[in-house]
Amino acid sequence: METVFDSLVLGFSVALRPDILWFAFLGCLVGTLVGMLPGIGPLAGISILLPLTFGLDATKAIVMLAGIYYGSQYGGSTTSILLRIPGEAASVMTCIDGNAMAKKGRAGAALCIAAVGSFIAGTFGVLMLTLIAPPLAIFALRFGPPEYTALLTLGLIFLAYMSTTSLVRTLLMAALGLLLGTIGIDVMTGHFRFSFNIPELGDGIGIVPVAVGLFGLGELLATPSHQVVGDVKSPRLRELLPTREEWRQSAMPIARGSVLGFLIGIIPGSAHIIASFLSYAVERRVSKHPEEFGKGAVAGVAGPESANNSASTGAFVPMLALGIPTGPVTAVLIAALLIHGIPPGPTLVNDHPDVFWGFVASMYVGNLMLLALNLPLVGVFVNLLRVPYAYLYPLIIMFCLIGVYEVNHSIVDVWIMLIMGVIGYGLKKFGFDPAPLVLGLVIAPILEMSLRQSLIMSDGHWLIFLQRPIALTLLVICVGLLVLSATSFVLHRRDWRAKLAAAETSES
Amino acid sequence: MDRRSFVIGSAASAAALITRPSIAQDVYPSRPVTFVNPFPPGGAVDVVARPLAAVLEPIIKQPVVIETKAGAAGQVGAQFAASAKPDGYTLLMHIVSISGFAEVDKLFGRPVKFTRDDFIPIARFIADPMVLVVNDQQPHKTLKEFVDDAKKRPNGMIFSSSGLYGALHLPTALFMKAAGIQMKHLPTAGGGPALTAILGNNSQVLVSSIAASSAQMKAGKLRALACFGAQRAPAVPNVPTMKELGYNVEFYLWVGMFAPKGTPVPIITTLRDASRKAAADDKFKQAMKNLGQDVAYLDQAEFKAFWDADAKRVEDAVRLIGKLEG
Amino acid sequence: MIIRTDHVAGGAFLALGVLVFAISGDLPFGTLSAPGAGMMPKLMTGLMMAFALLIIAAGAESKPFKSLDWSDRGHAALLVLITGTAVALYQTLGFLITMSLLVFTLLVVVERRHVLRAAAYGVALTVFAYWLFGIALKAPLEHGLLWF
Repeated sequence: METVFDSLVLGFSVALRPDILWFAFLGCLVGTLVGMLPGIGPLAGISILLPLTFGLDATKAIVMLAGIYYGSQYGGSTTSILLRIPGEAASVMTCIDGNAMAKKGRAGAALCIAAVGSFIAGTFGVLMLTLIAPPLAIFALRFGPPEYTALLTLGLIFLAYMSTTSLVRTLLMAALGLLLGTIGIDVMTGHFRFSFNIPELGDGIGIVPVAVGLFGLGELLATPSHQVVGDVKSPRLRELLPTREEWRQSAMPIARGSVLGFLIGIIPGSAHIIASFLSYAVERRVSKHPEEFGKGAVAGVAGPESANNSASTGAFVPMLALGIPTGPVTAVLIAALLIHGIPPGPTLVNDHPDVFWGFVASMYVGNLMLLALNLPLVGVFVNLLRVPYAYLYPLIIMFCLIGVYEVNHSIVDVWIMLIMGVIGYGLKKFGFDPAPLVLGLVIAPILEMSLRQSLIMSDGHWLIFLQRPIALTLLVICVGLLVLSATSFVLHRRDWRAKLAAAETSES
Repeated sequence: MDRRSFVIGSAASAAALITRPSIAQDVYPSRPVTFVNPFPPGGAVDVVARPLAAVLEPIIKQPVVIETKAGAAGQVGAQFAASAKPDGYTLLMHIVSISGFAEVDKLFGRPVKFTRDDFIPIARFIADPMVLVVNDQQPHKTLKEFVDDAKKRPNGMIFSSSGLYGALHLPTALFMKAAGIQMKHLPTAGGGPALTAILGNNSQVLVSSIAASSAQMKAGKLRALACFGAQRAPAVPNVPTMKELGYNVEFYLWVGMFAPKGTPVPIITTLRDASRKAAADDKFKQAMKNLGQDVAYLDQAEFKAFWDADAKRVEDAVRLIGKLEG
Repeated sequence: MIIRTDHVAGGAFLALGVLVFAISGDLPFGTLSAPGAGMMPKLMTGLMMAFALLIIAAGAESKPFKSLDWSDRGHAALLVLITGTAVALYQTLGFLITMSLLVFTLLVVVERRHVLRAAAYGVALTVFAYWLFGIALKAPLEHGLLWF
C-alpha cells in the first residue's frame, strides 16, 4: 500500500504540472469531439494527432493521446441519445433506451446519467489499474482461444435477455447476425466467403455501417415528418437534470456496468461493444421492470455507458503492465510510446516510473475534466432537439454518410449502410429487433476464430474446453443460466403462450 | 434564386468542374498528396508513414494526408492504389506481403486483382529482419536444441502468426521447410494478437519483427533463437543469423513507397528526391531508431532489385504453404 | 387462410436461407474436430431457417399482413432514392457539392421547403461539417473532381 501511495504521489506531481494538465485537457477535448462525431472514432483521432506530438516529450504525448481514447467513450453517447446514430461503435446499445428517453423529453437526463456513469466507471477503472494491474494482467494473459469461446457462448446465452421481442425472434436475428459476420476471408483457410469479388467485403461487414443503417437510417425512413409535427419536445432548463428517481434507478446499473466493463476490458482482443451489450442484457435480466427496456429505461443507458467506459480503462491494464495491445486503439498508443523512445513492456513501470505513474494519475484528473466538460455540454446539445424534424433529419442523413465513410474511406460501407437502412425499415414493420443482429455480427468472427483456434490447439479434442479452469468456470455459468431459465420456463409454462401473445401485440 | 437559375448555376459549376483539371497542370505537387495506408492505424505502415509524412511536408511544401484503407490483410488498400489515377497524388505505402497477393489469388483460382507490375517502386525506408522467438516456458537456448526437439515431436509445438499467408506466416513456413520440421499453425487477427498468444503460452514459437518483440525480449519473456537477416541485426547482436546456422532463409519486414503504374517520370523523380531527403532527416531517423530499427533507405533502382529478389522468396513461401483444405 | 405478417417474414428468411445455401456450395464444411470455412455459415443458415419455420408455425397469432401500415412507404422510397443518388455521386462530385445537394434536395423535394432557405441551410451545414471534419480534425474527406 505504502509503495502505491508513494508512486501515486510521484504520479500526481507529474500529472498536476500545468503543462501536463493542459495536454490532458486537450486530449479530453478532442476525445469528446471524436467520440461525438460518428465515424471518427478514437482510433482515427489518435493517429491523426500522433504526428503533432513528435515535438513533445513522451509523458505529454501519452497523456494527450490516452485522453482522446477514454474521452471518446464519454462523447459516444451524445449522438446515440439525441440522433440515434451511434457516435462510436461501443455506444450502439445506448441508441435504444437513450433515444427512447429523448423522445419522452428526458434527453438531458439521459446525457447527464451517461456522463456521470462514465465518470464513476472511469474512476473505478483507474483505481483498479493503480492497485492491482500486474496480477490482473497475468490473469488476462490466461485468456486463450478456449476461454474466449466460453466467454462468447456466455454472451450468446445472455442474448435471450437482451431483447423485448420473443425468444424465437431474438434468436433468429442473432443467427442472421452471426451469418452476416461470416462474410469475408476465412482467416483459417483463406477462402473468400460471400464476397462476390468485392475486395472491400474481404474483411467482412463493418459494425458501424450496419448499426448506423439499422438504427439511424431505418428509423428515419419509417418517420415521415408530418407524423412528428408538434411532437418536438423542447426541453426546459429545469428538466435537464435527472430526477431523484432516475438517479436511484441508475445507481446499481452504473456499479454493475463498471465492474463488468472493466473485467471485459482487460481481456486482450475483446471489444468494448461486447461489454456494453452484456451490461444491457444483465440490467434487463435483473430489472424488476424488464418491459420498460426499449421504451426509455434509465438502466439501459446507465449500465452500457458505464461498461464501455470502464472497459476502455481496463484495456490499459495489459498495455501498461505487459506491453501487449488489447485492441487497435491500444496498439496505436503502444506505437506512440515506441516512437517517443519509451518501449512499453513488463519493465515500463521500473524503467520510466514518471511516465507510468504520471499517466495513471493523469487519468484521475482527466476523468474529472471530462465530467466538467460534458455536463455543461448537455445543456448545449439538447438544443439540437429544438431544430424542427424536417431540418434535423437531412442533417442526420448527412452525418450517417460522413460517419460511415470516414471509418475506412470506403464507399462500399456507405452502400451497406443504405441497404441496412432499408432492412431496418422492414424489420421494424415486421416486429424484429435489430440489436441481437448487431451483437451476432460483432461476435461471429471472434467466436468462429477462437473455436477453431482451440481445436487446432487440442488436435480436434473438444475436451480442451473442460480442461482449462477459466473456460470450465464460464461454461458452468452458462449451464447454470440455462437450467435457471428452463426451470422458470417449466414453472410458468401455462401462461407462456399468453405472455408471448401479449409481447407480440405490445411490440407491434 | 429560383429553381431555374439554380439549374443554370449548377450547369456552370459542372462546366468549371470539367475544365478545371486542365488549368491545374502546374508544377507537381500543387495540392496535398495522399499516402494510402492499407493496414489499421498503429500497424507496420502507419508507424513509418506518419513520421515520414511529418518530415516530407516541408520538403514538398504540400500537406501529406494519410488515408487508412485497411482490409483483407492489406489487399484492399493496394488494389485501391493500383487503380488510382497515376498523377502522383495517390501513393501507396506497403510492406513485404504486397508480393504475395497475386500468388494467393492464383492458388484459389480467383481472378488476380493486381500484380507487382501495377506499381512503380519509389523507395524503401526500413527493412527489419525477422527473429524467431520462443517464450520463457520453453527450455530451448539455441536454435539447434529447438530444431532437435521439434524433430522429436512433429506437430508438437504451435506457432502463432498474424494470419494465413501473412508477413509472420511466410518466414515461418520457409524456415520449417529448410529445417525439415512440422509445427501447428495458430493464425490470429494480427501482429498484436499473435504476440499475445505466445506470451500466454497458447503458442510456443513466433517469427516476429525485432521492433514488435524487442520490449518482451528485454524483459526476458521471449528469447530470440535466430535472426532472418543477411547479417546480424544491430538491435540484437548476440542472435545468430539463419545463414550462420546453416539454413538458407532470409526475410525482412520492409516498408516501401509505391506509385501506380503510368505515373509520369518527372513526378517519380520529384518523389525520389523528396524521399531521399526525408530518409536522411534526423527527426525521421530518430523516430525509426525509437521503434527499434534503423532507416534502411534504398533508391528506386536498388529497391527494384531488392523487391524482385524478395518477391521470389514470398511467392515460394506462398506456394510452399499451398491451399489449405477444410 | 389469412396471410399474416409472421408468415411473410418467416417466408422471407426461409428464402434467404435457401439463397445462402445455393451460393455457399464451394465452402468446405469440414469435420467437428476440424471445422471448415463453410461450417459456421451453414450452421447459422440452418438455425435461421429453423427459427423462421417456428415463426411461421406460430404465425396465426400475428396481425394479418394486410393490416400493416405502409403509409410511410413513399417517404422511405424517396429518402432511399435521394440518398442512394448522393452515394453514387459522392466520389465524383466530392464532399461539398454532394452533401449540399443532398440536404437541399431532401428539403425541397421531400419537405417542400422554400428553395432559398433550403439552399442556404444545405450550404451552411455542409461548410460547417467540412470545417469540423476536414479542417479541424484533419480527416481526409472525398475531394471529387474539383479540389475541395
